[in-house]
Parts: sequence; structure tokens; C-alpha cells
Amino acid sequence: MKVFEVSNGNALSFALFTDVTNSKELLDSMRAGTLEPEAAFLNASLVPDVFPVLVAAHKALLSNSRDSLSSRTVHSELVYCYSGSKHISESLKRFGISESSNYVLAARFNASPEEMEAIRKLVKGTEVELEGLEAKADKAQIQKHYKIPGSELGISSLSDAISCRVAARDAL
Amino acid sequence: MEIDGDVSNCSLILLKQGAEARVFESNFVGRRCIIKERFSKKYRHPSLDSKLTLKRLNAEARCMTKARRLGVQTPVLYAVDPLLHTLTFQFVEGTSVKDILLEFGQSGVVEECLGDISAQIGDAIGKLHDGGLIHGDLTTSNMLIQNGTNQLVLIDFGLSFTSTLPEDKAVDLYVLERALLSMHSSCGNVMDRILAAYRKSSKQWSSTMNKLAQVRQRGRKRTMVG
Repeated sequence: MKVFEVSNGNALSFALFTDVTNSKELLDSMRAGTLEPEAAFLNASLVPDVFPVLVAAHKALLSNSRDSLSSRTVHSELVYCYSGSKHISESLKRFGISESSNYVLAARFNASPEEMEAIRKLVKGTEVELEGLEAKADKAQIQKHYKIPGSELGISSLSDAISCRVAARDAL
Repeated sequence: MEIDGDVSNCSLILLKQGAEARVFESNFVGRRCIIKERFSKKYRHPSLDSKLTLKRLNAEARCMTKARRLGVQTPVLYAVDPLLHTLTFQFVEGTSVKDILLEFGQSGVVEECLGDISAQIGDAIGKLHDGGLIHGDLTTSNMLIQNGTNQLVLIDFGLSFTSTLPEDKAVDLYVLERALLSMHSSCGNVMDRILAAYRKSSKQWSSTMNKLAQVRQRGRKRTMVG
């Protein structure tokens, strides 16, 4: 697990899991709003690097501090922001977890060590290092979802291309 | 637990102030960044002012990301704040083409380097124009050569817009030609090299070149009749 300072003293903690077996339960309790502690679960195969997630986190925190969240909680806002699209339910479906997902990136804002421990108990899977993200990323799916043309990848990394789309979403 | 990102380094350092915006250096989630703030103009009506500022802010973000999609390197956009009218983007470590050419003017031209730079400039502008994007402010100070990779990075899309008209493309090139003439005439004819690379890179070069010849005769502004 790792913690990143995002803005104004707010931090985002990550934990990456493979071979997750209970994503259906996680999804159900998240939909019911009973997930305790609350966290964001991302489809980790669409995350080549943590940086674009931090860009999304910055955006989510900003709209949270201005009371202008587009989705229910700051954690679902994180997933929505990371998607780079304006379609909320579609982005939660694609970039959040589904019933069949087994490779999950969990994130929580300002988490205490106890809360991260609780998340680790909640997710039934093997925790792995964040460094594995790049190798396991599904580049074809990422390129398709974010509409990244080959000409852009010639001058930019996948992570930078995603960051740009996440940041510029509302301007497009 | 390890915490990434230096918190103490969140200070803003004013780098430049122009007529439309202020540029600061700062830190974004542990990376060095540039913040461009478009300030409000007190002489404008407040509602018009915020509308214009926001429109230009969004246009700049849009054009920067579009340029990347066309395969032209620009700084990575990190955040757009519609309330504070700020853009946050990557800090590009490098030297401006202006400084490099001025150095050439003083201590002699390094042929190989100049050839590479002008080829990159022509190629980049060709890509932008073929994709229907006009930079609007092509000067040598808005072009950086990244340290290490020697890759050209275009900056300042504040005057950019989308257009496929040969007229707009020709004026874009003409502005660059004038800038090169006035600043860097001691480097020899850089513009010819840039145009040679532009011809190779842009499929629609011939109509743009014809227009450029006309623009050269009359200047940047079109004569308005009636």
C-alpha cells in the first residue's frame, strides 16, 4: 500500500489486489452504500500508472470542497473523474469493478492505517505492489476507452495521455 | 507507509506576467508544474469578463490536448480550474528555441542542430495544420527543446483555434516568418528549412503555400472592403 499527498493536506491511499474473489459482494455493498469503510474500487487493468488517478483525485477533491460532486460520494467521483468521460453510469461500469473483476485497485481519501487494514480484510484477494500496474495494464482497452490514437503514443506515454483527458474533460 | 510528494514545496513562484495571464511555477502531486492564471479584467463587465475568460481557458485546454492527439508534443495538462481560471500543466525542462537561436547568432551556427530544430518545427506545424489546428502565436519563444530528448515542445495555445482554411494556416506561418526575420536574421534563412519540412509533413501544403505568397504581399491582416 502507498499514500500520496494530493492537495491541501488531503492524501489518497492505494492498495492493489489480484485474484479477488468477492467483487460481487463489494459491488453490492457499494451500491447499497453500506461499504465500511467507504472506498473507491477501480478496474486495475485500465490503470497503467497511479499518476492519472492522482490527477482524478485532485479533481474529485476540488469538486468535493466546492460541494459540486456529480456523483454520490467523493470516492465514486474519483472513479467518474478517472474515466475521462461525462457519462457517469457508463464510467462507473467500465472503470469501477464489475461482478467478474479479479484485479482491483482500492483507493481511499485520508485513510487511517486501521481503515486500510479494514479494506484489506474486506477485499478477498492477494495484495501486490503498485509497481506491477504498468505490466498488467490492458493497453488495447485503455486506448479504446480513452480514444488514444497511435500518433499520440508516438510522443506521449499512456499515463500522460490519460492525465490530459482526465484534466481536460470539462473543457471538451 | 510512505508519503510521496513534498508538501513544503507547494509555494507559488511568479515566473511571468502578461496582458492576459500570470504564469507561476509550483508543485502538483509531487511533480514540478506551471500554473497559468487568466486574471479578470476590471474594465469589462463582470459577467462578460468571466464568460470570456472561461471560454478562452477551455479553448486553450482543448487545443493543447488536440495537438497531442495529432502527434505534436505539448505539456501534459494536469488540471483545469474553471472557478479560479487556472490551467495547471507539466513543467518542461528545456531551452526555448529563441534562446538557442540567439546563442547561434552570437557564437556561430551549429548546422546539425539548426537543421534538426527547423525540421522538427516544420513537421510539427504540418501536423497541426493537417489536423485543422492553428497555433495562432508561433514565435520562437513558444517553442521549447526538451533537455535530454531534444524533442520540440510547443507551448502557449492561448490564441489557438480550429480552422481548415488555407488563409488561417498561411497567416500562422507568416507570423512565424516575421518573428524569425526580426529576431534571428543572423542564423541564415531558417524559414526556408522550416517550410521544406512543412511541405514534407503536410498533405495540403500547396494551397497553404499559395496563400502564404499572397499573405506576404499584403501582410497579416486582410484588407477589408465595404
